[in-house]
Amino acid sequence: MLRRVLLVLTFVVCALGVVGYQATRPEKGASSPRVFVPSAQFFRDFSPSFRTTIADAYWLRTVQYYGEHASGDRQFDSLWPMLDLVTRLSPHFVRPYRFGAFALLDAGRADLSYELLKRGHAANPDEWALLTHLGFFAYMYGSTADKDVVAAEWYQKASELPGAPEWAGRVAARLLVKGGERQKATIQWAQVYGDGDQYSRERALAELDRLLPADPAARQREVAALREFMSADSFRDFSQALLDGTL
Amino acid sequence: MKSSFAIALNTFKETIRDRVLSVIVVFALAMIVASLWLATISLEQQARMMKDFGLTAVTLFGLVVAVFAAGNLVRKELEKRTVFFIFSKPVGPAQFIVGKFFGLALTVFLVVLGMGVFLFVVTWLVAGDAAGSVLLATLLIYFQVVVVMAVTVFFSTFASAILSSVLGVCVFIAGQLSHNVLSLTRLGEGEVLKALSWVVFIAIPNLAAVDAKPSVVGEGSIAWGQTALWLGYLIAYMIVALLAASWVFRRKEF
Repeated sequence: MLRRVLLVLTFVVCALGVVGYQATRPEKGASSPRVFVPSAQFFRDFSPSFRTTIADAYWLRTVQYYGEHASGDRQFDSLWPMLDLVTRLSPHFVRPYRFGAFALLDAGRADLSYELLKRGHAANPDEWALLTHLGFFAYMYGSTADKDVVAAEWYQKASELPGAPEWAGRVAARLLVKGGERQKATIQWAQVYGDGDQYSRERALAELDRLLPADPAARQREVAALREFMSADSFRDFSQALLDGTL
Repeated sequence: MKSSFAIALNTFKETIRDRVLSVIVVFALAMIVASLWLATISLEQQARMMKDFGLTAVTLFGLVVAVFAAGNLVRKELEKRTVFFIFSKPVGPAQFIVGKFFGLALTVFLVVLGMGVFLFVVTWLVAGDAAGSVLLATLLIYFQVVVVMAVTVFFSTFASAILSSVLGVCVFIAGQLSHNVLSLTRLGEGEVLKALSWVVFIAIPNLAAVDAKPSVVGEGSIAWGQTALWLGYLIAYMIVALLAASWVFRRKEF
Protein backbone atom coordinates (compact mmCIF):
# COMPACT_ATOMS: atom_id res chain seq x y z
CA MET A 1 0.00 0.00 0.00
CA LEU A 2 2.77 2.39 1.04
CA ARG A 3 4.64 1.50 -2.14
CA ARG A 4 1.66 2.36 -4.28
CA VAL A 5 1.16 5.69 -2.49
CA LEU A 6 4.85 6.48 -3.02
CA LEU A 7 4.59 5.65 -6.71
CA VAL A 8 1.49 7.82 -7.17
CA LEU A 9 3.14 10.63 -5.21
CA THR A 10 6.30 10.39 -7.33
CA PHE A 11 4.21 10.46 -10.48
CA VAL A 12 2.23 13.51 -9.34
CA VAL A 13 5.36 15.41 -8.23
CA CYS A 14 7.19 14.66 -11.49
CA ALA A 15 4.14 15.54 -13.62
CA LEU A 16 3.75 18.82 -11.73
CA GLY A 17 7.44 19.49 -12.27
CA VAL A 18 7.12 18.91 -16.02
CA VAL A 19 4.04 21.12 -16.32
CA GLY A 20 5.50 23.76 -13.99
CA TYR A 21 8.75 23.98 -15.93
CA GLN A 22 7.03 24.56 -19.26
CA ALA A 23 4.40 26.91 -17.85
CA THR A 24 7.02 29.20 -16.31
CA ARG A 25 9.14 29.58 -19.46
CA PRO A 26 9.34 33.25 -20.50
CA GLU A 27 7.49 34.08 -23.69
CA LYS A 28 9.75 34.08 -26.72
CA GLY A 29 10.40 37.57 -28.01
CA ALA A 30 10.35 38.53 -31.68
CA SER A 31 13.11 36.86 -33.62
CA SER A 32 16.01 38.85 -34.98
CA PRO A 33 15.15 40.78 -38.16
CA ARG A 34 18.15 39.07 -39.76
CA VAL A 35 17.69 35.35 -40.09
CA PHE A 36 19.61 32.83 -42.11
CA VAL A 37 17.85 32.01 -45.37
CA PRO A 38 19.53 29.35 -47.54
CA SER A 39 19.68 29.85 -51.28
CA ALA A 40 16.98 28.41 -53.53
CA GLN A 41 19.69 26.60 -55.48
CA PHE A 42 20.74 24.75 -52.33
CA PHE A 43 17.25 23.31 -51.89
CA ARG A 44 16.87 22.62 -55.61
CA ASP A 45 20.10 20.59 -55.51
CA PHE A 46 19.53 18.74 -52.26
CA SER A 47 15.84 18.05 -52.10
CA PRO A 48 14.25 18.35 -55.53
CA SER A 49 11.29 16.14 -54.60
CA PHE A 50 10.42 18.36 -51.65
CA ARG A 51 10.85 21.66 -53.50
CA THR A 52 7.25 22.82 -53.07
CA THR A 53 7.06 21.55 -49.49
CA ILE A 54 10.11 23.62 -48.58
CA ALA A 55 8.62 26.61 -50.40
CA ASP A 56 5.42 26.20 -48.39
CA ALA A 57 7.31 25.84 -45.11
CA TYR A 58 9.21 29.04 -45.89
CA TRP A 59 5.96 30.71 -46.92
CA LEU A 60 4.54 30.03 -43.46
CA ARG A 61 7.81 31.27 -41.96
CA THR A 62 7.61 34.44 -44.08
CA VAL A 63 4.06 35.20 -42.93
CA GLN A 64 5.12 34.60 -39.33
CA TYR A 65 8.25 36.74 -39.76
CA TYR A 66 6.25 39.59 -41.27
CA GLY A 67 3.60 39.40 -38.54
CA GLU A 68 6.20 39.39 -35.75
CA HIS A 69 8.08 42.40 -37.06
CA ALA A 70 5.09 44.37 -38.34
CA SER A 71 3.74 44.46 -34.81
CA GLY A 72 7.20 44.83 -33.26
CA ASP A 73 10.39 46.53 -34.36
CA ARG A 74 9.30 47.01 -38.01
CA GLN A 75 12.67 45.76 -39.23
CA PHE A 76 12.30 43.48 -42.24
CA ASP A 77 15.89 42.73 -43.25
CA SER A 78 15.21 39.11 -44.22
CA LEU A 79 11.82 39.61 -45.86
CA TRP A 80 13.22 39.89 -49.38
CA PRO A 81 15.52 36.81 -49.11
CA MET A 82 12.56 34.79 -47.80
CA LEU A 83 10.21 35.90 -50.57
CA ASP A 84 12.97 35.36 -53.11
CA LEU A 85 13.48 31.80 -51.84
CA VAL A 86 9.76 30.94 -51.84
CA THR A 87 9.14 32.32 -55.32
CA ARG A 88 12.24 30.69 -56.82
CA LEU A 89 11.36 27.29 -55.35
CA SER A 90 7.71 27.59 -56.33
CA PRO A 91 7.45 30.14 -59.18
CA HIS A 92 3.77 29.41 -59.90
CA PHE A 93 2.71 30.03 -56.29
CA VAL A 94 1.00 33.40 -56.87
CA ARG A 95 0.12 34.50 -53.35
CA PRO A 96 3.71 35.25 -52.22
CA TYR A 97 4.14 37.73 -55.10
CA ARG A 98 0.96 39.57 -54.18
CA PHE A 99 1.48 39.53 -50.44
CA GLY A 100 5.22 40.15 -50.74
CA ALA A 101 4.80 43.21 -52.96
CA PHE A 102 2.78 45.01 -50.27
CA ALA A 103 4.81 43.63 -47.37
CA LEU A 104 8.03 44.92 -48.96
CA LEU A 105 6.56 48.44 -48.80
CA ASP A 106 6.95 48.20 -45.05
CA ALA A 107 10.61 47.44 -45.60
CA GLY A 108 10.79 50.61 -47.70
CA ARG A 109 11.62 48.59 -50.81
CA ALA A 110 8.98 49.45 -53.43
CA ASP A 111 11.68 48.77 -56.05
CA LEU A 112 11.86 45.14 -54.89
CA SER A 113 8.04 44.95 -54.87
CA TYR A 114 8.04 45.88 -58.54
CA GLU A 115 10.88 43.46 -59.25
CA LEU A 116 9.04 40.64 -57.47
CA LEU A 117 5.82 41.31 -59.36
CA LYS A 118 7.61 41.41 -62.70
CA ARG A 119 9.16 38.04 -61.92
CA GLY A 120 5.75 36.74 -60.88
CA HIS A 121 4.23 37.96 -64.14
CA ALA A 122 7.02 36.30 -66.17
CA ALA A 123 6.28 32.96 -64.47
CA ASN A 124 2.49 33.38 -64.50
CA PRO A 125 1.52 35.41 -67.57
CA ASP A 126 -2.17 34.50 -67.21
CA GLU A 127 -2.58 36.00 -63.74
CA TRP A 128 -4.31 39.32 -64.24
CA ALA A 129 -3.98 40.26 -60.56
CA LEU A 130 -0.19 40.44 -60.90
CA LEU A 131 -0.62 42.87 -63.81
CA THR A 132 -3.00 45.14 -61.89
CA HIS A 133 -0.52 45.10 -58.99
CA LEU A 134 2.25 46.02 -61.44
CA GLY A 135 0.13 48.92 -62.68
CA PHE A 136 -0.47 50.03 -59.12
CA PHE A 137 3.22 49.94 -58.17
CA ALA A 138 4.30 51.57 -61.44
CA TYR A 139 2.01 54.50 -60.76
CA MET A 140 2.28 54.86 -56.98
CA TYR A 141 6.00 54.31 -56.62
CA GLY A 142 7.31 55.08 -60.10
CA SER A 143 9.54 58.12 -60.42
CA THR A 144 9.56 58.66 -64.17
CA ALA A 145 7.51 61.31 -65.95
CA ASP A 146 5.62 58.71 -67.95
CA LYS A 147 4.56 56.60 -64.97
CA ASP A 148 0.88 57.12 -65.89
CA VAL A 149 1.49 55.58 -69.29
CA VAL A 150 3.56 52.68 -67.90
CA ALA A 151 0.89 51.93 -65.28
CA ALA A 152 -1.91 52.22 -67.87
CA GLU A 153 -0.11 49.67 -70.04
CA TRP A 154 -0.05 47.15 -67.20
CA TYR A 155 -3.76 47.68 -66.52
CA GLN A 156 -4.53 47.42 -70.21
CA LYS A 157 -2.67 44.09 -70.42
CA ALA A 158 -4.59 42.87 -67.35
CA SER A 159 -7.94 43.84 -68.91
CA GLU A 160 -7.15 41.69 -71.96
CA LEU A 161 -6.77 38.50 -69.93
CA PRO A 162 -9.71 36.14 -69.45
CA GLY A 163 -11.36 36.55 -66.07
CA ALA A 164 -10.00 40.06 -65.51
CA PRO A 165 -12.43 42.48 -63.86
CA GLU A 166 -14.02 45.16 -66.00
CA TRP A 167 -12.54 47.94 -63.90
CA ALA A 168 -8.99 47.12 -65.06
CA GLY A 169 -9.72 48.74 -68.42
CA ARG A 170 -11.41 51.69 -66.72
CA VAL A 171 -8.37 52.30 -64.49
CA ALA A 172 -6.15 52.22 -67.58
CA ALA A 173 -8.34 54.82 -69.26
CA ARG A 174 -8.41 57.08 -66.19
CA LEU A 175 -4.65 57.02 -65.91
CA LEU A 176 -4.27 58.32 -69.43
CA VAL A 177 -6.66 61.22 -68.81
CA LYS A 178 -5.12 64.38 -67.39
CA GLY A 179 -6.11 64.73 -63.77
CA GLY A 180 -4.97 65.32 -60.23
CA GLU A 181 -2.43 62.98 -58.63
CA ARG A 182 -4.61 62.57 -55.56
CA GLN A 183 -7.61 61.46 -57.55
CA LYS A 184 -5.56 58.91 -59.50
CA ALA A 185 -4.00 57.62 -56.28
CA THR A 186 -7.48 57.23 -54.80
CA ILE A 187 -8.53 55.09 -57.77
CA GLN A 188 -5.40 52.98 -57.39
CA TRP A 189 -6.02 52.22 -53.74
CA ALA A 190 -9.71 51.56 -54.43
CA GLN A 191 -8.79 48.84 -56.96
CA VAL A 192 -6.31 47.37 -54.46
CA TYR A 193 -9.19 47.15 -52.01
CA GLY A 194 -11.54 45.66 -54.63
CA ASP A 195 -9.15 42.90 -55.55
CA GLY A 196 -7.03 42.39 -52.45
CA ASP A 197 -6.81 40.00 -49.55
CA GLN A 198 -7.55 41.05 -45.99
CA TYR A 199 -4.09 42.50 -45.46
CA SER A 200 -4.06 44.68 -48.59
CA ARG A 201 -7.65 45.78 -47.95
CA GLU A 202 -6.70 47.06 -44.52
CA ARG A 203 -3.77 48.85 -46.03
CA ALA A 204 -5.90 50.37 -48.80
CA LEU A 205 -8.46 51.64 -46.29
CA ALA A 206 -5.76 53.27 -44.18
CA GLU A 207 -4.28 55.01 -47.24
CA LEU A 208 -7.68 56.11 -48.52
CA ASP A 209 -8.64 57.45 -45.12
CA ARG A 210 -5.58 59.68 -45.41
CA LEU A 211 -6.18 60.66 -49.05
CA LEU A 212 -9.92 61.38 -48.95
CA PRO A 213 -11.23 64.73 -47.67
CA ALA A 214 -12.25 64.87 -44.03
CA ASP A 215 -15.45 66.80 -44.79
CA PRO A 216 -18.24 64.13 -44.72
CA ALA A 217 -20.16 65.43 -47.77
CA ALA A 218 -17.04 65.72 -49.96
CA ARG A 219 -15.81 62.33 -48.77
CA GLN A 220 -19.16 60.72 -49.57
CA ARG A 221 -19.04 62.15 -53.11
CA GLU A 222 -15.55 60.84 -53.75
CA VAL A 223 -16.26 57.41 -52.26
CA ALA A 224 -19.40 57.12 -54.46
CA ALA A 225 -17.25 57.83 -57.53
CA LEU A 226 -15.10 54.79 -56.70
CA ARG A 227 -18.05 52.42 -57.13
CA GLU A 228 -17.02 51.50 -60.67
CA PHE A 229 -13.69 50.03 -59.51
CA MET A 230 -15.00 47.12 -57.45
CA SER A 231 -17.87 44.66 -57.10
CA ALA A 232 -21.12 45.61 -55.35
CA ASP A 233 -20.30 43.46 -52.31
CA SER A 234 -16.83 44.94 -51.94
CA PHE A 235 -18.16 48.46 -52.35
CA ARG A 236 -20.74 47.98 -49.59
CA ASP A 237 -18.05 47.09 -47.03
CA PHE A 238 -15.68 49.65 -48.50
CA SER A 239 -18.05 52.60 -48.23
CA GLN A 240 -19.21 51.51 -44.81
CA ALA A 241 -15.65 51.44 -43.51
CA LEU A 242 -14.71 54.80 -44.99
CA LEU A 243 -17.91 56.70 -44.22
CA ASP A 244 -18.91 55.36 -40.83
CA GLY A 245 -15.72 56.52 -39.20
CA THR A 246 -14.91 52.98 -38.09
CA LEU A 247 -11.28 53.22 -39.19
CA MET B 1 3.97 -19.42 -58.16
CA LYS B 2 1.39 -21.05 -55.92
CA SER B 3 3.80 -21.22 -52.99
CA SER B 4 4.83 -17.57 -53.49
CA PHE B 5 1.18 -16.60 -53.41
CA ALA B 6 0.63 -18.57 -50.18
CA ILE B 7 3.68 -16.92 -48.57
CA ALA B 8 2.50 -13.49 -49.77
CA LEU B 9 -0.96 -14.02 -48.31
CA ASN B 10 0.46 -15.21 -45.04
CA THR B 11 2.91 -12.27 -44.87
CA PHE B 12 0.08 -9.84 -45.61
CA LYS B 13 -2.08 -11.28 -42.82
CA GLU B 14 0.86 -11.19 -40.44
CA THR B 15 2.00 -7.62 -41.21
CA ILE B 16 -1.44 -6.02 -41.40
CA ARG B 17 -2.10 -7.18 -37.83
CA ASP B 18 1.09 -5.59 -36.53
CA ARG B 19 0.29 -3.11 -33.78
CA VAL B 20 3.33 -0.98 -34.54
CA LEU B 21 1.90 -0.47 -38.01
CA SER B 22 -1.41 0.74 -36.56
CA VAL B 23 0.39 3.18 -34.27
CA ILE B 24 2.41 4.62 -37.19
CA VAL B 25 -0.71 4.95 -39.35
CA VAL B 26 -2.67 6.69 -36.58
CA PHE B 27 0.28 9.03 -36.05
CA ALA B 28 0.44 9.75 -39.81
CA LEU B 29 -3.28 10.54 -39.93
CA ALA B 30 -2.82 12.82 -36.92
CA MET B 31 -0.04 14.60 -38.79
CA ILE B 32 -2.31 15.11 -41.81
CA VAL B 33 -5.00 16.53 -39.53
CA ALA B 34 -2.33 18.75 -37.92
CA SER B 35 -1.67 20.28 -41.35
CA LEU B 36 -5.11 21.90 -40.92
CA TRP B 37 -3.55 24.09 -38.29
CA LEU B 38 -0.68 25.07 -40.59
CA ALA B 39 -3.24 25.91 -43.24
CA THR B 40 -4.89 28.48 -40.99
CA ILE B 41 -1.74 30.61 -40.84
CA SER B 42 -1.02 30.47 -44.56
CA LEU B 43 -3.03 33.51 -45.76
CA GLU B 44 -5.85 31.71 -47.57
CA GLN B 45 -3.65 28.96 -48.99
CA GLN B 46 -5.38 26.18 -47.04
CA ALA B 47 -5.78 23.62 -49.85
CA ARG B 48 -2.21 24.03 -51.07
CA MET B 49 -0.69 23.66 -47.60
CA MET B 50 -2.84 20.65 -46.74
CA LYS B 51 -2.00 18.82 -49.96
CA ASP B 52 1.71 19.62 -49.91
CA PHE B 53 2.41 18.85 -46.25
CA GLY B 54 -0.06 15.96 -46.34
CA LEU B 55 1.74 14.27 -49.25
CA THR B 56 5.08 14.77 -47.51
CA ALA B 57 3.63 13.05 -44.44
CA VAL B 58 2.36 10.19 -46.64
CA THR B 59 5.86 9.81 -48.14
CA LEU B 60 7.73 9.85 -44.85
CA PHE B 61 5.36 7.61 -42.91
CA GLY B 62 4.99 5.25 -45.85
CA LEU B 63 8.78 5.03 -45.93
CA VAL B 64 8.99 4.35 -42.19
CA VAL B 65 6.43 1.56 -42.42
CA ALA B 66 8.10 0.05 -45.50
CA VAL B 67 11.74 0.04 -44.36
CA PHE B 68 11.13 -1.12 -40.82
CA ALA B 69 8.77 -3.88 -41.88
CA ALA B 70 11.08 -4.91 -44.76
CA GLY B 71 14.13 -4.98 -42.46
CA ASN B 72 12.35 -7.53 -40.29
CA LEU B 73 10.76 -9.47 -43.11
CA VAL B 74 13.45 -12.08 -43.71
CA ARG B 75 15.37 -11.62 -40.44
CA LYS B 76 12.38 -12.60 -38.34
CA GLU B 77 11.97 -15.86 -40.25
CA LEU B 78 15.66 -16.62 -39.77
CA GLU B 79 15.71 -15.76 -36.08
CA LYS B 80 12.49 -17.67 -35.32
CA ARG B 81 13.83 -20.51 -37.45
CA THR B 82 10.51 -20.77 -39.26
CA VAL B 83 12.52 -20.57 -42.46
CA PHE B 84 13.58 -24.21 -41.93
CA PHE B 85 9.96 -25.25 -41.84
CA ILE B 86 9.23 -23.31 -45.04
CA PHE B 87 12.22 -24.78 -46.87
CA SER B 88 11.22 -28.28 -45.86
CA LYS B 89 8.36 -27.76 -48.34
CA PRO B 90 8.91 -27.43 -52.10
CA VAL B 91 9.70 -23.71 -51.86
CA GLY B 92 12.79 -22.11 -53.39
CA PRO B 93 14.64 -19.05 -52.01
CA ALA B 94 13.40 -16.88 -54.88
CA GLN B 95 9.77 -17.90 -54.27
CA PHE B 96 10.25 -17.20 -50.58
CA ILE B 97 11.70 -13.72 -51.15
CA VAL B 98 9.12 -12.81 -53.80
CA GLY B 99 6.24 -14.08 -51.67
CA LYS B 100 7.40 -12.20 -48.57
CA PHE B 101 7.98 -9.04 -50.60
CA PHE B 102 4.60 -8.99 -52.31
CA GLY B 103 2.79 -9.74 -49.06
CA LEU B 104 4.40 -6.71 -47.47
CA ALA B 105 3.93 -4.66 -50.65
CA LEU B 106 0.18 -5.26 -50.37
CA THR B 107 0.18 -4.13 -46.74
CA VAL B 108 2.16 -0.99 -47.61
CA PHE B 109 -0.19 -0.37 -50.54
CA LEU B 110 -3.20 -0.37 -48.19
CA VAL B 111 -1.37 1.85 -45.69
CA VAL B 112 -0.21 4.42 -48.27
CA LEU B 113 -3.52 4.37 -50.15
CA GLY B 114 -5.41 4.73 -46.87
CA MET B 115 -3.37 7.80 -45.99
CA GLY B 116 -3.82 9.23 -49.51
CA VAL B 117 -7.59 8.72 -49.47
CA PHE B 118 -7.76 10.26 -46.00
CA LEU B 119 -5.81 13.29 -47.23
CA PHE B 120 -8.07 13.56 -50.29
CA VAL B 121 -11.23 13.46 -48.14
CA VAL B 122 -9.89 15.92 -45.55
CA THR B 123 -8.80 18.38 -48.27
CA TRP B 124 -12.16 18.01 -49.95
CA LEU B 125 -14.18 18.52 -46.77
CA VAL B 126 -12.10 21.30 -45.24
CA ALA B 127 -10.84 23.26 -48.24
CA GLY B 128 -13.53 22.26 -50.76
CA ASP B 129 -10.86 21.03 -53.16
CA ALA B 130 -11.48 17.51 -54.48
CA ALA B 131 -8.09 17.06 -56.12
CA GLY B 132 -7.82 13.68 -57.83
CA SER B 133 -4.15 14.47 -58.39
CA VAL B 134 -3.62 13.75 -54.68
CA LEU B 135 -4.52 10.12 -55.33
CA LEU B 136 -2.25 9.96 -58.37
CA ALA B 137 0.61 11.46 -56.35
CA THR B 138 -0.08 8.88 -53.63
CA LEU B 139 0.27 6.10 -56.20
CA LEU B 140 3.63 7.49 -57.36
CA ILE B 141 4.76 7.77 -53.72
CA TYR B 142 3.83 4.10 -53.29
CA PHE B 143 6.09 3.08 -56.16
CA GLN B 144 8.99 5.06 -54.66
CA VAL B 145 8.46 3.47 -51.28
CA VAL B 146 8.13 -0.03 -52.66
CA VAL B 147 11.46 0.28 -54.50
CA VAL B 148 13.17 1.31 -51.27
CA MET B 149 11.43 -1.65 -49.66
CA ALA B 150 12.89 -4.04 -52.24
CA VAL B 151 16.38 -2.68 -51.58
CA THR B 152 15.82 -3.05 -47.82
CA VAL B 153 14.78 -6.68 -48.35
CA PHE B 154 18.03 -7.17 -50.27
CA PHE B 155 20.03 -5.71 -47.35
CA SER B 156 18.12 -7.85 -44.87
CA THR B 157 19.38 -11.03 -46.54
CA PHE B 158 22.87 -10.36 -45.17
CA ALA B 159 22.56 -7.59 -42.53
CA SER B 160 20.68 -7.21 -39.26
CA ALA B 161 17.10 -5.89 -39.28
CA ILE B 162 17.98 -2.49 -37.85
CA LEU B 163 20.99 -2.02 -40.13
CA SER B 164 18.89 -2.98 -43.16
CA SER B 165 16.22 -0.44 -42.20
CA VAL B 166 18.80 2.31 -41.67
CA LEU B 167 20.39 1.46 -45.02
CA GLY B 168 16.93 1.57 -46.61
CA VAL B 169 16.42 5.12 -45.29
CA CYS B 170 19.88 6.04 -46.63
CA VAL B 171 18.95 4.67 -50.05
CA PHE B 172 15.79 6.79 -50.00
CA ILE B 173 17.83 9.93 -49.23
CA ALA B 174 20.47 9.02 -51.83
CA GLY B 175 17.70 8.38 -54.34
CA GLN B 176 16.52 11.96 -53.86
CA LEU B 177 20.04 13.19 -54.67
CA SER B 178 20.66 10.93 -57.65
CA HIS B 179 21.04 13.85 -60.08
CA ASN B 180 23.86 15.32 -57.92
CA VAL B 181 25.85 12.13 -58.40
CA LEU B 182 25.31 12.52 -62.14
CA SER B 183 26.81 16.02 -61.90
CA LEU B 184 29.83 14.50 -60.15
CA THR B 185 30.32 12.05 -62.99
CA ARG B 186 30.55 15.02 -65.35
CA LEU B 187 32.69 17.20 -63.12
CA GLY B 188 35.05 14.47 -61.88
CA GLU B 189 38.72 15.20 -62.59
CA GLY B 190 40.15 11.70 -62.65
CA GLU B 191 38.83 8.89 -64.81
CA VAL B 192 38.60 6.56 -61.80
CA LEU B 193 36.47 9.04 -59.85
CA LYS B 194 34.30 9.59 -62.91
CA ALA B 195 33.80 5.85 -63.36
CA LEU B 196 33.09 5.39 -59.65
CA SER B 197 30.52 8.20 -59.66
CA TRP B 198 28.89 6.64 -62.70
CA VAL B 199 28.59 3.27 -60.93
CA VAL B 200 27.06 4.95 -57.87
CA PHE B 201 24.66 6.88 -60.09
CA ILE B 202 23.50 3.67 -61.76
CA ALA B 203 23.29 1.74 -58.49
CA ILE B 204 21.17 4.28 -56.61
CA PRO B 205 17.46 4.26 -57.51
CA ASN B 206 16.50 7.55 -59.12
CA LEU B 207 13.56 8.55 -56.94
CA ALA B 208 13.49 12.22 -57.89
CA ALA B 209 13.14 11.96 -61.68
CA VAL B 210 9.39 12.56 -61.47
CA ASP B 211 7.58 14.37 -58.69
CA ALA B 212 3.82 14.73 -58.69
CA LYS B 213 3.66 17.16 -55.77
CA PRO B 214 4.28 20.31 -57.86
CA SER B 215 1.39 19.42 -60.17
CA VAL B 216 -0.85 18.75 -57.16
CA VAL B 217 -0.22 22.28 -55.86
CA GLY B 218 -0.59 23.89 -59.27
CA GLU B 219 3.08 24.08 -60.25
CA GLY B 220 2.85 22.73 -63.78
CA SER B 221 1.35 19.51 -65.05
CA ILE B 222 2.35 15.86 -65.01
CA ALA B 223 4.42 14.71 -67.99
CA TRP B 224 2.65 11.42 -68.63
CA GLY B 225 5.29 9.98 -70.94
CA GLN B 226 8.09 10.71 -68.47
CA THR B 227 6.03 9.34 -65.60
CA ALA B 228 5.27 6.07 -67.45
CA LEU B 229 8.95 5.66 -68.34
CA TRP B 230 9.97 6.33 -64.75
CA LEU B 231 7.44 3.80 -63.40
CA GLY B 232 8.85 1.22 -65.81
CA TYR B 233 12.34 2.02 -64.52
CA LEU B 234 11.22 1.66 -60.87
CA ILE B 235 9.57 -1.71 -61.57
CA ALA B 236 12.72 -2.92 -63.35
CA TYR B 237 14.86 -1.71 -60.42
CA MET B 238 12.58 -3.51 -57.99
CA ILE B 239 12.91 -6.78 -59.95
CA VAL B 240 16.70 -6.45 -60.01
CA ALA B 241 16.79 -5.83 -56.24
CA LEU B 242 14.55 -8.85 -55.56
CA LEU B 243 16.58 -11.12 -57.84
CA ALA B 244 19.77 -9.98 -56.11
CA ALA B 245 18.15 -10.66 -52.73
CA SER B 246 17.11 -14.16 -53.90
CA TRP B 247 20.64 -14.84 -55.16
CA VAL B 248 22.23 -13.83 -51.84
CA PHE B 249 19.60 -15.77 -49.92
CA ARG B 250 20.20 -18.89 -52.04
CA ARG B 251 23.88 -18.85 -51.10
CA LYS B 252 23.05 -18.87 -47.38
CA GLU B 253 23.52 -22.13 -45.56
CA PHE B 254 20.64 -23.22 -43.38
